Amino acid sequence: MLGVKNIIDIDDLSSEDIKLIMENADSFAEVLERDLKKVPTLRGKTLVNLFFEPSTRTRTSFEIAAKRLSADMINFSASTSSLKKGETIIDTVNTIQSMVVDLLIIRHSDSGVLNFISRNINTPVINAGDGKHQHPTQALLDLYTIKKSFKSFKDLKVALVGDIANSRVARSNARLFKRMGMNVSLVSAPMMLPEDMSYFGADIFYCIDDVIKEVDILYMLRMQFERQQRKYYPSIKEYNRFLSLNTDRFGMMKKGSIVMHPGPVNRGIEISETVMNLETEMPARIKINNQVNNGVAVRMALIYLILISRQENI
Amino acid sequence: MIDNKKINAGKLSGINNILIKSVNIIDPVEEKEYRSDILIENGIIKTVGTDLKTGSSVDFEEFSEGSRIKFANDLILFDASGYHASPGFFDMHVHLREPGDEDEEDLESGTSAALRGGITSVACMPNTNPPLDRDFLIKDIKNRALMYGFNVYPVAAATKGLEGIEMTEMGILKDSGAAAFSDDGKCIQNAKLMYEIMKYSKIFEMPLILHEEEYSFSSSGMVHDGYYSAVLGLDGIPSLAEEIIVARDIMLAEKTGAQIHITHVSSKGSVELIKKAKEEGVNITCDVTPHHLYFDDSCLKDYNTNFKVNPPLRSSKDRQAIIESVKAGVIDAIASDHAPHLETEKNIPFSEAANGVIGMETLFKAAYTLLCKKGSLSAVKLIKLLTKSPSKILNINTGKISPDSMADFVILDLERESVIRKQDFFSRSSNSAFIGEKLAGETVLTVCNGKIGFINNNVNLEKETGKF
Repeated sequence: MLGVKNIIDIDDLSSEDIKLIMENADSFAEVLERDLKKVPTLRGKTLVNLFFEPSTRTRTSFEIAAKRLSADMINFSASTSSLKKGETIIDTVNTIQSMVVDLLIIRHSDSGVLNFISRNINTPVINAGDGKHQHPTQALLDLYTIKKSFKSFKDLKVALVGDIANSRVARSNARLFKRMGMNVSLVSAPMMLPEDMSYFGADIFYCIDDVIKEVDILYMLRMQFERQQRKYYPSIKEYNRFLSLNTDRFGMMKKGSIVMHPGPVNRGIEISETVMNLETEMPARIKINNQVNNGVAVRMALIYLILISRQENI
Repeated sequence: MIDNKKINAGKLSGINNILIKSVNIIDPVEEKEYRSDILIENGIIKTVGTDLKTGSSVDFEEFSEGSRIKFANDLILFDASGYHASPGFFDMHVHLREPGDEDEEDLESGTSAALRGGITSVACMPNTNPPLDRDFLIKDIKNRALMYGFNVYPVAAATKGLEGIEMTEMGILKDSGAAAFSDDGKCIQNAKLMYEIMKYSKIFEMPLILHEEEYSFSSSGMVHDGYYSAVLGLDGIPSLAEEIIVARDIMLAEKTGAQIHITHVSSKGSVELIKKAKEEGVNITCDVTPHHLYFDDSCLKDYNTNFKVNPPLRSSKDRQAIIESVKAGVIDAIASDHAPHLETEKNIPFSEAANGVIGMETLFKAAYTLLCKKGSLSAVKLIKLLTKSPSKILNINTGKISPDSMADFVILDLERESVIRKQDFFSRSSNSAFIGEKLAGETVLTVCNGKIGFINNNVNLEKETGKF
């Protein structure tokens, strides 16, 4: 049983929780390989996907996960414009809660919204990404992907490359990877790094070439143009020079190393078109689609564990 | 609950003959403390001395156990032994929200909140709706404050509409009763305009109260740019945003000779710049808020919007430096930056929430608890920062506890501690950073302009209307 009611911040989970999630993800991954990819476990449970920020991938992943568990999943796309009409976010959440749902999966463009909502309602919540703060389910599915590629987490060298300051994935992943005993580096530029880096506890590099030969895991972050108040990076050409993964650099990576990206990839920015096209050929090395695939199993595990904890508490 | 307390004060407010027995009077001018009686007749302090009598036949020995107050139709007897008396506090930075945002606060609720905090004079900031940038607006605030028997010193806008483009009619505004000029809440970005404002305000000998913020550094920020902004994924406002403008304005003040006052100073670098400028003879003073003294950015962990303020709560290092600067005399005043906001502006996601906290009702308590009770500052020194020192900055002669002056003082129970509760505020808003904090230094009685403005219900009142 999980030690927490909500999943908001990756640091809220204990090591036992993480272990439990990984184990359950294994079981559900097995279900997903069957012909009949569905179990009746959560029949009668109602989940709501409450997305205040556009998302297709994460929302769909949660929806498939819920359906594979036989839960009812309702998608509620709250446009921020309707909130501006005077309905506060708490009104919206309370309205949905009044319809007696078992779990809310929430994404919002503001950091800390899940902390705020969870203080005001009883229904458990899963953070599907809040602003620049946290994206714990991404971190867990990434960990699961790494677990499937390596024998042990200990001393694995992982580099997170790109816009750290604006990335919720970087925050959740760096913390989780470090906790699991990995050696975390950040490759970025000063404009894309927070002023105080101690939270990340990572070595910092300014060019991907400084780490490319050493890393076991090259984790490319999406360049978050939509979260930038202004254009603070000079150009794609400059990005390609220092921070992109291209064929030459891929060639320098050591045997058995893997490439990850939370998606969607800006082709030609974080990863070159050519490297992207290698994925079908080299699925053991380029894990981007595999991450998406694992996302369903890990989210099934999370939904399952949160809802059974609730039941046992009753 | 509020009404109950108001009635209480109201019943007594008609009485302006008071004899206060054996109170410890704090004199922030002479920086001393002494025990004395105070006799007030018709709102004027008649005598300060020992063993004063009212001329009536009632002795204080007749007080029943635990009761400190007796009152008749026109006389109050108050045994204040163990309590302290200070001149009424002067809060030189408040937002009373009139005109325009009376749902958050108005002169009535604002002045009753002030009196509960022992404050008898305030300087109110001009970022209202419309802003206080014209003479009739200044006059209106002054006149209406008189109705509440309270001392409000309106600060006029330095630029028309607080737009930072054209300066206001400073001469006319001064004549209409403005106490100072400020674009508080905003910062004049244009250095040349600031230079001209300083030169012009100088000829009227008017202080400029400066909110220091360089917008290119602060624009998208919400919290201090440091460890917690990185953890929380909230854009940071670096200390540099304040320090760059403090440095600029020191240079301009040095050149023009203008009197400048840096308000709600928040960073270590700023107090260092101000210290150096003072040593070099620049006509500069500064204040700090109790919340910047009491809290640092670690409070933001739960995205509690009652810690969302501008300038932001900074690091523990900054906070320590500010506390030290208070002790070292670099900081001249403590002011609340009382900024009322409704629930609809505060009980919402952090990034959408308004900046600011209320602070008049906790001004003294918070400062006293932190600096004196838990720290090493003497109560006399603290009270100077809340009375004489701010009034001097604004060239205002505030009351002192001496014969022939208007009764304008507060009686404090420095020992009594209480937990700050959201439901207890007299302010129309309850966005306090101190909710849940245990603070010492309760206001027992506030006398403002010769009249009782606040009396604490927890003081044991013996309601006897008989003869004295």
